[in-house]
Amino acid sequence: MSVSLFIASVLTQTAPILLAALAAMFTQRANILNVAVEGMMLAAAMAAIAVGDVTGAVGVAILAGAACATVLATIFAFVSIVLRADFIVAGLGVNLLAAGGTLFILEEVYQNPGGLRPDTFPEIWALRGDWLNAIPILGPALQGASVIVLFSLVLVPLSWVFLYRTPLGYALRASGEDEHAARAAGIRVPRMKFLAVVFSGVIAGLAGSELSMDRLHFFLPNMTSGIGFIGLSAMLFGAGTPWRTAFAAFLFGVAEAAGDRLQSFQVAPEIVLMTPYLAAILGLVFARSRIVAGARPAKLGASAP
Amino acid sequence: MIATFLGLWRSARGSLGAIVVTLVIGFGLVVLVSDDPVESYRQLLFASFASKANFVLYLNRATPLILIGLGIVFAFRAGVFNVGGEGQLYMGAITCAAIGIFLAGWPGVLVAALCLIGAVLAGALWGFWPAFLKTGLGVDEVVTTLMGNFVALLIANFMVTHALRDATAYGATSLMLPQDSWLPSIPGLPNATIGFPVALVTAAVAWTVLFRTEWGANLRAAGINARFAETIGIRPKREIIRAMIVSGALAGLAGAFYVLGVGHRFEQNFSPGFGLMALTVALLARLNPFGVVATGLFYALMLNGAAYMQIETDMPRSLVNLLTGLLVLLMTVDVRRRGRARVAA
Repeated sequence: MSVSLFIASVLTQTAPILLAALAAMFTQRANILNVAVEGMMLAAAMAAIAVGDVTGAVGVAILAGAACATVLATIFAFVSIVLRADFIVAGLGVNLLAAGGTLFILEEVYQNPGGLRPDTFPEIWALRGDWLNAIPILGPALQGASVIVLFSLVLVPLSWVFLYRTPLGYALRASGEDEHAARAAGIRVPRMKFLAVVFSGVIAGLAGSELSMDRLHFFLPNMTSGIGFIGLSAMLFGAGTPWRTAFAAFLFGVAEAAGDRLQSFQVAPEIVLMTPYLAAILGLVFARSRIVAGARPAKLGASAP
Repeated sequence: MIATFLGLWRSARGSLGAIVVTLVIGFGLVVLVSDDPVESYRQLLFASFASKANFVLYLNRATPLILIGLGIVFAFRAGVFNVGGEGQLYMGAITCAAIGIFLAGWPGVLVAALCLIGAVLAGALWGFWPAFLKTGLGVDEVVTTLMGNFVALLIANFMVTHALRDATAYGATSLMLPQDSWLPSIPGLPNATIGFPVALVTAAVAWTVLFRTEWGANLRAAGINARFAETIGIRPKREIIRAMIVSGALAGLAGAFYVLGVGHRFEQNFSPGFGLMALTVALLARLNPFGVVATGLFYALMLNGAAYMQIETDMPRSLVNLLTGLLVLLMTVDVRRRGRARVAA
């Protein structure tokens, strides 16, 4: 097994986790634990395949995925911020709605509850070229990396800049850390929270599109299988900061990729499938004790009021 | 008397509103899609009473919803966001099946008793560890219980495929439990699990414990304001752990009732997501044990009716999954604009 191949598989496993984690990070900084990432991803995964099937255009398919998740996110934001529903319950509602809605569409529109498998589907834009192989190790690993995988890597520094170097980022974090002070400073807190949730929808949509469009080209019911929650754990592990969150997402990505390798050593598939969830739980245990030690001000999942 | 009714109405109107809105949206959807919308909805809501067999299935679906829902009431009342009902249910069911199959040949009553005890302990364990992580290390329980669901499902799958599998059956299905360990049915309703009346009794016990005992008062105090509870001598961490053990134990019991009373073996897909549905049931009931019986019965009605709707009309049963999502999305909406508490009480 070459190192490059393993890195490549880590990258593909990490990208959806990383995007889910970053999506959850934006809402977390506005003090909303976003359990709805999972559902947004699922809806996007289906929208991307369905639209890509009809139009045959990769760009439109990715946009459709992102748009679909954004619509769900907007509904979630409206219900939890404007109508003041409990955001965890409403978030679980979004997940159930996505799971039920996609299944309903599969049965009603496609007459096939088993999944949506277009006969032909356009290949997602990916990095290819002989020049890549000139770069040692990393070059071949990036060979064939999809545009969304690459974007997920770029999004880490971008979101850092956004959160820590722009007025909007300050306002968003202020709304999350101390609602009353933020309001006193003239920040429209509900608007900031709404914005954070919509943001997370766009990113979760990309995560979902990547999941179904990259290599697989099909949609299965519940194909996200907890990746959104693993991303959520990565974000909590990373204490809601971009770099640490990305590090955690990579850790979980390595766990998944290593799990895939284990499968060829005759380890029971159930044990292999368990690794990312166990890694996430262990990661949280480990991270939480460190957060307490460092006394971070961010209110990670703290109960209000 | 009038005051009591007014109080009941006040606590129930939010839930009723969410249910009505969901049913109306659902009907709108059915009108759009179905050729015979009225018949579809009639099947959905009333087919469960059309025959004795339908009614039995209905009760069997209501049982886990009520039991897990009651457990979730304990957790939420103590301020723990237990989303792990599904995992706790599966741990109970698989433990029950394993004990029943390994002890085949022992006296039936003894096997059944050990199955029940094992299931309750397994469920309780699956409630305990997230509570322990929460109180001991401050790990958020929403994420750990959600992860725990996936792990529990995989553990159950592993046990079935590697140790308990019935090689002649299709899919991940365990061997049958010995017939003398099966639980009796409700008299007059063959195949209806005895778990249903047990669930009703449990609801009454749960209400009494929560609202008429010191332990219940401490538990609720810890849930409403942990810091205040601590100053008056209650140990909120201990209350949280106890509540989660009860929560998991009841879900585990629900798993045992399925295996011993309905399926007589473990099937990987026996639960259509009872865990999260029970969360819906508990929250719709505004965390009142008697309310859980009512909302659990309502929910089982939809769940059970969906199957008949699919058979009799052109509506797919996933309509109910979709409506569930809508209901959960809308059920904690607070139109009166009060401050938001994390656990809706």
